[in-house]
Amino acid sequence: MIRLSSSQRSGLVGAALLALVLVAIGLLTAYFGSRYQVRLVYSAYVNLIVVLGLQVFMGNARITNLSHSAFMGIGAYAAALCVTPENIKKISLPDAPWGLAQFSLDPVVSALIAVVITAVLALLLGMLIVRLTSIGATIVTLAILVIIHAIFLYRTDIFKGNQAFFGIPQVFNLTSVIAIAILVVIVCRLFRESRWGIQLRASADDEVGAAAMGVQIYRLRLIAWVLGAVILAVAGICYAYFLGTISARPFYFNHVFLTLAMLILGGMRTVTGAVLGTFLISFGLEGVRYLETGPVFLGIDLPEALGLSGIALGAVIVLTMALRPTGIMGNREIETLFVRQRH
Amino acid sequence: MEYIVQQVLNALSFGAEYALLALGLAIVFSIMGLVNFAHGEIIAVGGYTMVAFASLAIGNPMIVMVGAVLAAMLASLTLERVAFRPVRKADPTTGLLTAFGVSIVLQNLFLLFVSPRPIAVTSLYFLDWSIEIAGIRLASLQVFETLTTIIVIIALMLFLRRTVLGLAVRAASLDFEMVRLTGIRANRVFAIAFLISGLLAGLACIFIMARRGSVDPHLGFEPVLKAFVACVVGGFGSLPGAVLGGFLLGAVEVAMLVMLPQSLGGMTDAFVFMIVAMILIWRPDGILSPAVEKGDKL
Amino acid sequence: MLTIQDLHVFHGPIEAVHGISLEVEQGKCISLLGPNGAGKTSTISAITGIARSTGLVRFEGRDLSRDSVEARIAAGIAVSPEGRRIFSNLTVLENLTLGAALQKDAAEKAKDTDHWFSLFPILAERRDQSAGTLSGGEQQMLAIARALMARPKILLLDEPSLGLAPKIVRQIFDLIADLKTRGMTILLVEQNATQALKLADYAYLMSSGRIVAHGTADDLGKSDKLMAELTGVA
Repeated sequence: MIRLSSSQRSGLVGAALLALVLVAIGLLTAYFGSRYQVRLVYSAYVNLIVVLGLQVFMGNARITNLSHSAFMGIGAYAAALCVTPENIKKISLPDAPWGLAQFSLDPVVSALIAVVITAVLALLLGMLIVRLTSIGATIVTLAILVIIHAIFLYRTDIFKGNQAFFGIPQVFNLTSVIAIAILVVIVCRLFRESRWGIQLRASADDEVGAAAMGVQIYRLRLIAWVLGAVILAVAGICYAYFLGTISARPFYFNHVFLTLAMLILGGMRTVTGAVLGTFLISFGLEGVRYLETGPVFLGIDLPEALGLSGIALGAVIVLTMALRPTGIMGNREIETLFVRQRH
Repeated sequence: MEYIVQQVLNALSFGAEYALLALGLAIVFSIMGLVNFAHGEIIAVGGYTMVAFASLAIGNPMIVMVGAVLAAMLASLTLERVAFRPVRKADPTTGLLTAFGVSIVLQNLFLLFVSPRPIAVTSLYFLDWSIEIAGIRLASLQVFETLTTIIVIIALMLFLRRTVLGLAVRAASLDFEMVRLTGIRANRVFAIAFLISGLLAGLACIFIMARRGSVDPHLGFEPVLKAFVACVVGGFGSLPGAVLGGFLLGAVEVAMLVMLPQSLGGMTDAFVFMIVAMILIWRPDGILSPAVEKGDKL
Repeated sequence: MLTIQDLHVFHGPIEAVHGISLEVEQGKCISLLGPNGAGKTSTISAITGIARSTGLVRFEGRDLSRDSVEARIAAGIAVSPEGRRIFSNLTVLENLTLGAALQKDAAEKAKDTDHWFSLFPILAERRDQSAGTLSGGEQQMLAIARALMARPKILLLDEPSLGLAPKIVRQIFDLIADLKTRGMTILLVEQNATQALKLADYAYLMSSGRIVAHGTADDLGKSDKLMAELTGVA
């Protein structure tokens, strides 16, 4: 049995509180939501897992990562390639190399393989990234995003590029994604409050000081990076297992902006911030999207306004940085809000 | 022989474009630690200015080119005033994310108010014709681009060495507060850095537009990504490093285009970035990284 | 010439100086003494406007307390800061040129450069060398010369002897004495009280953000309070 530190125990309390929120939103949707709304909330939960995966690295190591959607894509495609039945792959991927079209596995094994593949790739790339200065690392993550996207587009024989990769068994529903999201919240909180997480955050505040205390900063960054990538792969798998079809487009820039804005608004330093930001933007953006289609509002026929949601996302990032750079939550996790009130 | 000269010129003109953009990024980074992700949108502003001239039926190439460069400089200055002043003293991550947000806003403004689709601009085609020097056929555009960049780099060097404001920009990369203590207004130093950055982006815009012949909201994205990589390779914040990184990247890219088989054509960038990654494993802070003190300075 | 009244200086939320008052008269050398952390450098930063402060900073009858850093420098204040802070990526000559940033007349600027080069021959020898390659003493001279290039009405010298060998320290103090005989108004911040008191017309002793004693150099030199504050022995 692993013994938990006191900060990890309070982390578990915080995770439990967040879990309550996640379950409540899920129940409301399941009972009162339309089909469309269920889909919307499902994708909010997938994005939540992405934002949590982003938080593990960005929030603890304080290095901006822009490649997260690519790792989500790797997880999604790897699982899809394993799980899709042979007869469908023979039609959709007739030119697949290395016998990729000649087998299919059950969903659990496929998911495990996808996670392992993503983790190994992340480990290899991470060994380069963790040694760079913070700015250099960010630029390299951007390059990784572009390269992986180029590979998805270029190897149409495996990934089908911008066309739909279809026939993935739809084995997940809202309940499964909520369960996984809660699990990920717990993992993120435990990591944040673990000795590794605390040391990593300390070294982000004072690199020289932490190194002098014997903190192996590169190793810790690498651990956070790979853990983040694993969570991102899980998010990709959840995405593929629900929708049944994937393509390269959702794993590129627009998704990077979206999830980054979520994390920044809520506050990248805390898990609570990641959850809060995800739901605020997921639901807020739905309103903006409605305006984007050019609705009739109070009797006025508004024009179609493509790009409005992008402007809103960018503005959220700029304003958060100008007014409150640490996001809404700052350094506070959910349980501290309640502890404060008792005093 | 002709083939070799053509490929060398190819590499130089690619490198020149990256160097122009990387210099613009580096000069802003050196004084305020800002990674300006919105640099690509400055290029797009130049491109859309050309569209505006075309719709006003102004075809005089001098007016179009000067107008585009001025618009880029103005846009750069405006961004400094409006978006980057509040985060002037913030840490690099805050600045980086702000610039990222600004970039998204601008791209979507183009999308909303102009068009998501490419718009053709034909007024600069005249820059590109085939010239013959010593029996070797070359593309004039590439010659112009290389020469312009060399002239600009020399002019910038003179500015940074011979004028008080230029000295202040160099000194500010080391100790901005001390520059203020000599009585030079901080706002002037920021303004000149962003003006230079905009000027370089505007010049790059002319060549990008002459080659592509159309503008869309994402016009600046790919060249600026390469310029970022050039900066990282050269050492972020170092001006000589930006130039070196730019030309090195151009050379690697052309070498990849020449050496990779046709079937791998779509993967050139992936191979270029892989070579860049190897350079960074060798020198994580870039080739000509400026000395960075991570601890407290005495 | 320079009057400070009830000055409080802040670094973020922390108050480093708790309401001090002092006076620098034209042509005099005033010394601000005290141990490490007494608030001397904070006081200098408040005068130049780098640090946030409340209270009155009056220079030549004009209230500067709301002016920007740049405006205060333009009013005739120049500083050789703690730690010298020369521009090590620029040459010696370029450092001096920046010191005279507000001097528009190129001929006057060249005249000043020649003048200070004649007074600091070692800097003249290294005029095109990168300032980072200078020794500590040379860097201190450069920092002072850079401040003087602005033709200031008052010169603020923050710890000019810090970290230098005794022989170099004597050179620096000789130089300050020379500037004083030329009529320069000087506010000298020092930990090296013996040397500073030899030069100063009047001195203030600071401790923990307050002025604990002041008087002419002779008076203060004899007081036990000074020794107690500077050595920590009561």
